[in-house]
Amino acid sequence: MSEPLPDRGWLLVLAVGTALMAALPFVANDYLVGTGLTLLMWVALAQSWCVLSRLTGYVSLGHVVFYGLGAYLVVVTWQLVPLPLAILGAGLLAALFALAVGLPVLRVKGPYFVILTFGLAELVKYSIMAIESASGIASRILFGTPDLVRVYFAMFALAAAAILLLSWVSRSRFGHGLRSLRENELAAETLGVPVVRYKLLAFVLSAAIPGMVGAVMALRSTYFVVGQVFDPMISITVIAMAILGGGDNAKGPLLGVIFLTALSELLWAQAPLLYMIILGLVLVVFVLLVPDGLLGMFERRHSPTAARIGPSQ
Amino acid sequence: MTALLEVCNLGRRFGGLVALSGVSFEIEAGSTVGIMGANGAGKTTLFSLIAGNLRPSSGDIRFAGSSIVGLRADQICGLGVARTFQIVMPFPALTVLENVRTGAMFGKAKLRHAAQADIVARQVLADVGLAEVADRPASTLTLSGQKRLEIARAVATGAQLVLLDEVMAGLTPVEVTQMLQTLRRLQASRGLTLLVIEHVMRALMDLCSRIIVLHHGELIAQGSPQQIGENDKVLSVYFGAHS
Repeated sequence: MSEPLPDRGWLLVLAVGTALMAALPFVANDYLVGTGLTLLMWVALAQSWCVLSRLTGYVSLGHVVFYGLGAYLVVVTWQLVPLPLAILGAGLLAALFALAVGLPVLRVKGPYFVILTFGLAELVKYSIMAIESASGIASRILFGTPDLVRVYFAMFALAAAAILLLSWVSRSRFGHGLRSLRENELAAETLGVPVVRYKLLAFVLSAAIPGMVGAVMALRSTYFVVGQVFDPMISITVIAMAILGGGDNAKGPLLGVIFLTALSELLWAQAPLLYMIILGLVLVVFVLLVPDGLLGMFERRHSPTAARIGPSQ
Repeated sequence: MTALLEVCNLGRRFGGLVALSGVSFEIEAGSTVGIMGANGAGKTTLFSLIAGNLRPSSGDIRFAGSSIVGLRADQICGLGVARTFQIVMPFPALTVLENVRTGAMFGKAKLRHAAQADIVARQVLADVGLAEVADRPASTLTLSGQKRLEIARAVATGAQLVLLDEVMAGLTPVEVTQMLQTLRRLQASRGLTLLVIEHVMRALMDLCSRIIVLHHGELIAQGSPQQIGENDKVLSVYFGAHS
């Protein structure tokens, strides 16, 4: 589906949301700012993930690898390289890694791609663990990280960039080519879509921002544990948000992120065990009953014919 | 007049199986040429080789004077060769219009903007009789509709040479008649060169100025529909020994 021009309601919601998020650090306490930071992080990750996985149908279960690589780069270059440069470098590293592994990885489809991306992320995680322990570093602590508000605005910029990226790709010729190859790769190629190049470009684009997100989040936690920045739960949460949101444009994942972040904030503090159970239930319900997500529900309500979004499989 | 498509000594093996061997023919620009042959004769393999979905094991294919062997399918489409698939391959979750838009945005036409591409796409949809269903998901079309969609997408690429793989198979006699009209109209209005695989003999005889006959991967005859109808080799292959 190529976007009809952005409707006013959506732009209004986006503008209000942006203003609220921009004002948050000036009016809220640290706890709320921290929650806002988490929300922005998920926005940036989910929007980036959708560039690859929603538009091409290649579901990546290893997007945390880009996040982890970005975080790792900032940690090893700490106080050696100016921070803004290190953050940009993290995006570049993630993009280069995607470029390097993209050609072989994108040759496999469906469940094999899902498993392969998962395995690749674990491989990188354990490799870096081995490197760290071989070099005798037990833990790394970052001294003199920027304050929360700066970290918050860095993430704000990344979230905005990710929304812009997905919105642009979604309505571009490139995006139309990606949707075509999602539906049928052979037919798309025969109609002139350079499928190999497009898939690779989507993979690289969807990797860059998560790399920078990882870099910024490394500043937030101040100490570095490999297992934490390569935690597979990050990949899984991103997918859960995209499934809950639905759709292959910027709106769906945004809805999913807000919904899931709100749910976790409500339940996490009260009943952490219940949270995982309810999260599982919500996912099952959505996959079975609302395959086109929150966005599909909204759009169906407005026009019964508009609800055909997301991969057809 | 030089040929638009030249196929020289073309061969393709799948392991030990020879799907096509030593096939040579030329197609003049603007003509309609039919390809007949039993199942397994190598007709679809021939299309896959020309369109770049498969690489030849031997021989050459020249389009508009230069060799296209070794190019990817999307590059060959970009030069002006489009094909349809015998087993239809619509983009099911996209609308009919969006399906055709892909052809117009990529292919040879390469229209950068969706709005421009949609003007072309709607025109083609009107030509094939799918204008009314343009905004429906492609998955909701009937078989006849999906065959038309295959043609529309191929034509929207702006191709000069369109390879039609059994676009009339499974259609009712009335639909076949409509399809023949559609193809003639498309060809006349756009100056297309058509290469047509067909089992519906009436359609092939009616539409084509020349027919190529494949048998077990080899070209056994080519000529006008009348010549093919009287060719001993063809008759013996189709109807058994012929005194």
